[in-house]
Amino acid sequence: MTRLPLQPGEVIDRSAPLNFTWNGDQISAFTGDTIASAIMANGNRIFARSMKYHRPRGLLTADFWDPNSFVQVGDDPNVRSAHRLAEAGMEVTAQNVWPSLDYDVKAANGVVGKFLTAGFYYKTFMKPAKLWPAYEKVLAQFAPGGKVDLNTPHMYHDKRYAHPDVLVAGGGPAGMAAAIAAAEAGAQVMLVEHEHLLGGSLLWGTEADRAVAAELVAACEAADNIEILLNSTVTGRYEDNWCAIAQRSHPIAVERLIKARAKMLVVAPGLIERPYVFAGNDKPGVMLSGAVRRLINLYAVKPGQKAVVFTANAAGDRAAEDLTRAGIDVVRVVDARNGGNIVAAKGGAKSVESVELGDGSTVEADLLVTAIGWTAPTSLLNLAGDRPAYDPVAARFFSSQLPDNILVAGGLAGDGTTDQLIAHARDTGELAARRAVVIAQTLQRLTARAVNVDGDIAPMPADDRTTLRRDPHPELHRSTTHGLVDYSEDVSSKDLFSAAKEGYDSVELIKRFTTATMGPSQGKLETVNTVAVLAEARGETIAEVGTTVWRPPYAPITLGALGGRIFEPVRVSSIQPWHEANRATPILAGQWVRPEHYGDPAGEVRNVRENVGIIDVTPLGKLDLRGRDVPKLLSMLYTNKWMQLPIGSVRYGVMCAEDGVVMDDGVTAHIAEDHYMMTTTSSGAAGVWEWAENWLQTEHPDWEVHITPVTTGFTSINVAGPKSRELVARLTDIDLDPETFKYMQVRTGSVAGVDNCFMWRIGFTGELSYELHVPSGYGLHVWETLLDQGADLGIKAFGLEAQRIMRLEKGHFIVGQDTDGLTKMPSVGMNGLIKLDKDDFAGKAELAISLEQTNLPKVVAIQTTDPTIVPEEACQIVRAGTNEIIGRITSSRMSPTLGRSICLGQVLPEAADAGSNLTVVMTTGERITAKVMEHHAHFDPEGERLRV
Amino acid sequence: MTTFRNLVSSSSLNSVRDSGSKTIESMKKLKSDPSKPPRYSAAGLFVKGAKGDTWPRVWREVDLKKSYDVVIVGGGVHGLATAYYLATNHGITNVAVLDKAYLGSGGSGRNTAIVRSNYLTPEGVAFYDRSLTLYNTMSTDLNLNVMFSERGHMTLAHTDSALRTMRWRAEVNKLQNINSSVIDPQEVKKLAPSLDVSPNTRYPIQGALYHPPGGTIRHDAVVWGYARGADHRGVEMHQQTEVLDIMVEGGDGPDGKGRGGRVTGVRTNRGDISAPIVVNCTAGWATLISDMAGVKLPINTHPLQAAVTEPVKVFLPTVVVSGSLHVYVSQTDRGELVFGASVDPFATYSMKGSLEFTEELAGHVLELMPNIGRMRLLRQWAGLCDMTPDYSPVMGFTPVDGFLCDVGWGTYGFKAGPVSGEQMAEAIATQSVPKLIEPFKLSRFEDGNLVGEKGAAAVGH
Repeated sequence: MTRLPLQPGEVIDRSAPLNFTWNGDQISAFTGDTIASAIMANGNRIFARSMKYHRPRGLLTADFWDPNSFVQVGDDPNVRSAHRLAEAGMEVTAQNVWPSLDYDVKAANGVVGKFLTAGFYYKTFMKPAKLWPAYEKVLAQFAPGGKVDLNTPHMYHDKRYAHPDVLVAGGGPAGMAAAIAAAEAGAQVMLVEHEHLLGGSLLWGTEADRAVAAELVAACEAADNIEILLNSTVTGRYEDNWCAIAQRSHPIAVERLIKARAKMLVVAPGLIERPYVFAGNDKPGVMLSGAVRRLINLYAVKPGQKAVVFTANAAGDRAAEDLTRAGIDVVRVVDARNGGNIVAAKGGAKSVESVELGDGSTVEADLLVTAIGWTAPTSLLNLAGDRPAYDPVAARFFSSQLPDNILVAGGLAGDGTTDQLIAHARDTGELAARRAVVIAQTLQRLTARAVNVDGDIAPMPADDRTTLRRDPHPELHRSTTHGLVDYSEDVSSKDLFSAAKEGYDSVELIKRFTTATMGPSQGKLETVNTVAVLAEARGETIAEVGTTVWRPPYAPITLGALGGRIFEPVRVSSIQPWHEANRATPILAGQWVRPEHYGDPAGEVRNVRENVGIIDVTPLGKLDLRGRDVPKLLSMLYTNKWMQLPIGSVRYGVMCAEDGVVMDDGVTAHIAEDHYMMTTTSSGAAGVWEWAENWLQTEHPDWEVHITPVTTGFTSINVAGPKSRELVARLTDIDLDPETFKYMQVRTGSVAGVDNCFMWRIGFTGELSYELHVPSGYGLHVWETLLDQGADLGIKAFGLEAQRIMRLEKGHFIVGQDTDGLTKMPSVGMNGLIKLDKDDFAGKAELAISLEQTNLPKVVAIQTTDPTIVPEEACQIVRAGTNEIIGRITSSRMSPTLGRSICLGQVLPEAADAGSNLTVVMTTGERITAKVMEHHAHFDPEGERLRV
Repeated sequence: MTTFRNLVSSSSLNSVRDSGSKTIESMKKLKSDPSKPPRYSAAGLFVKGAKGDTWPRVWREVDLKKSYDVVIVGGGVHGLATAYYLATNHGITNVAVLDKAYLGSGGSGRNTAIVRSNYLTPEGVAFYDRSLTLYNTMSTDLNLNVMFSERGHMTLAHTDSALRTMRWRAEVNKLQNINSSVIDPQEVKKLAPSLDVSPNTRYPIQGALYHPPGGTIRHDAVVWGYARGADHRGVEMHQQTEVLDIMVEGGDGPDGKGRGGRVTGVRTNRGDISAPIVVNCTAGWATLISDMAGVKLPINTHPLQAAVTEPVKVFLPTVVVSGSLHVYVSQTDRGELVFGASVDPFATYSMKGSLEFTEELAGHVLELMPNIGRMRLLRQWAGLCDMTPDYSPVMGFTPVDGFLCDVGWGTYGFKAGPVSGEQMAEAIATQSVPKLIEPFKLSRFEDGNLVGEKGAAAVGH
């Protein structure tokens, strides 16, 4: 055991022990331990094997960004064991090892390491080409990471929206002080801390440090207007301070996404300690100062027996003191500020045994602690457009230009004593609160219909904070030896040198070639060292080389939290309960579920042709159009004319996109003065609405038209068949006399006692039919009344399949099935509806050209020679004896009315004339013959049945 | 008939007058040169490793000359492939490829590296099949392993209409000898066990179009391979070289630009270059570059976002695409899932990612693979896509003599890189339009002969 006696600042609760397993072994831990601190307290030092060479790895930073301690916890892969708290009963296993962590056969790669330089795979495995798939399988074995468990349940993580005045990223001394000051100034504050406790680096500091932390924590907790989120990370900052927060501490959800529109964002994440590059720097026992200080002070874990400390700053000096106090033999402190250096960590693969120093001497030690400087985590600033600039004196990056709604505090802003940093942060919080007020006022003004603010908006408060100083710090990146730069990717400084020599000598190219900085911490430990090594290789400065662009998220976030539940409800009509009760076979049509048939589609067809049937057509898109200029809009959207449509009439129209391709079709009724109702295809409903609004809002904002989508506001029922008039007459006060209520007309009245129903005389099925649009609350009532009243007439409900058969018998095309993304309107045989003498309409220019073209395919009716064969939809039509495609079958069914197979298809003009013989290739490859028919309609081509 | 040779020699520029013969001289020299760049091989790795040697530069760093026979704007796959095939197929090597940043910094380095040839129109199939053929032998052709992973490509159908479109594509493909077929949900499950093929999802999987020859490739390696191959034959690559203007004389527009004009060179941040042929191989900025020559393109630029997860052990062996859910996903050999979607619906040059994209993406991915909710998104990014009205590129000659375009590649430029380079090189060398790219000429927007894969292009990866 390496657990130390009680430490004054420890965060473990020794009165609450717990157990979990590590690779099957029992680990005893205390509440408050991280997985890694507990494993280490039980005497283990090795957590993982490296990606490429499978070298044993121990803790390096002992925090969220530790690259060496990813583990699998149950079904959760890639868990950061130095951050995740230990829980009783966890099953923790090492990743990327085979057969075991202690003995890993792939460690053999280390032996041939010098041949496996970065990017080696680009230079080999090329021949023989047919062996590459085998090579690839081997390479894929080296994929790092844990395992996805395909039994993990699909979890829904609901999201939360927040609107804080001031969002503070970072709950260290600066973040807490900023939050307190902002709250005192009246702001609503959200304080987000990455770790499990507020306090930041003060927590592993001196007694005085912890006292300061305790005071700040108490003040934060006491303030009503500060919401504290622990174990949570601001993962992204998007336009206008739209911030994403990953909350890992939610009591129920594994992880929750909080979306915060923050008026002000204060960024105070502190600094991230940077590893030093030297030979053997990845041996277990090489740690950063922050790691040993956390282990000793927070978790009472002894990180080694004999230590060498390489220090360039106060953090390193403190680490040496902590080690001594914890009873570790500090055999040497090497001070970089006095020219000291370390050259190599030596020993076996599993531990440091000695350290070679810059002066040539070698010291025995099993622990090597480095404190050589900091990386400024500027990600959130970059996401706001900042391009941080490198300061060689302070040896780190600082922000250069920020929008007014972001402020920086703490180590990211500069240096100072704890008191100075807190004072600066308090000024920052107070400034943030003042700016939040002005931003709130400005936003309110922008919202035209909001209650207006009286008087002038105050100017944006200027940044009047006293600037923090920047302490000089030695620029330390690499010793005189080569070592690892990217621990996650096994990329060494030698790899970077050779990549630069090969010409991959810009920061982006070297990243892509060597994969340095591409691992789980996305460069937080690695980027600056990569840039420094590249600068060294090129003989340039860090500023000249520049950095890669930080991209979101700042810390990885689970797909479960991001995805939440998808808001795509299933849509059903008000008649759905009846459909279900009557065993309708459902079919998914876009967002809708609707009845495909009720058991016998052919029988449903025959009944409509002989008696009367009703179908639920609610998904039909319906747009209520009102206003003086509706005819202008209709004229713009459809290719035909609309200015003179009389009240009470219905007209069919086709819409084309600007390229002349058929986009939608449907009928529109002129219901009353300045009032129309447009119907669209079911699948096109949303798109047509957007399209119409696009014309109104961007091209003709002067037109007086109001569009209301009413698709679900009405339940739509089509009553079809020779006996439909007789049936409908029993239910309505509308005069159905065929002399006055003709085909293609519309009436308003009551149906089955329901007022304000619309009734259209149209017919997709080819039979006499009435389409009823009834307020949807009464849909089921009207449907059941129709069935009841029509019992003696032989009424039956029919589904989508019967409707599709009947429309095919009638030769009506379906947009998107018989047409496609390339079908221009002249192809569908309705050139009479293209009115080029109109001023303008969507697609006019292109249609003018395409009307002249002779090579456009045609939509035609097709019948197979053998009436019993129904070619599958999408079967290709080829030139006889060749594989040359000249068309395809777009729709096909067996017609119950005609007792034979019928089709619609698209063919090139050469084969489009009536009587042309066609060769159809079945999906089996068999070829059959068919011929082009004279009329689109296979049945009742003159349309006598629907005009009666 | 205009030929490349008389175009170059009829140019008013003395310095390029006899460059053709010089080029051939330099070609011969290169071939017989004992100091010719070493080939990549396992043996080479072994020798270099043992000796501790490093490899020579993947492409040389040379001074920018005052003139070239051909200047290619844009150092991505299209520009570099054009340069490579100019040199290999036509012996034209006095060529400079200019990039305002580093090679492969645009769409070539931002795409999701999926290749396939199961397109909807016979023209599309022929074009992309040629590209796939070139990708297939690319590692050996370029002597650089581009890690083409022929892992199969599956486009899911969630509705009967989508299934009908899949069948249409399969039937077209079969007639053209492309391996492509419609498979049922059980076969889908066998190929990708992580997919939920049960009927209890919001959009149940009803089948898929399966295309075994499709797969993924290491996109950066394609860039480097072409650059290295072109460099070995004398082509110059110039990074951090931004084109600020294109010099044109005799045109009907301001400054002599535009229709009827003739290109004389380009102005860059590193000085002026004269050249009788300038090729626009940019994406994202295609309209801005063409504007410099007075050539208007019917293109809107939209961002396309992508994202990648942390690595996990390989569990998804094929490429999976779902048009209904606007997502495509594959797992790299490094274990990361790479996701893409459709273009953002608004035009912008901004390459910032959005939070909404990651939310919708994750939601839809979990609809397909409900068990991977614990995987973590590691990084998101965006690239720029130049969209034309018919979702097809603009390739070949323009109303400005000597100014050519290979632009407007929408969301599928990477797949088309090799064949585009090959065909553009032929167009430049022969000064005539190869049959394969004839449908993509700029003039189609004036005469109404639009082409397109629009029917299949929504999420066509």
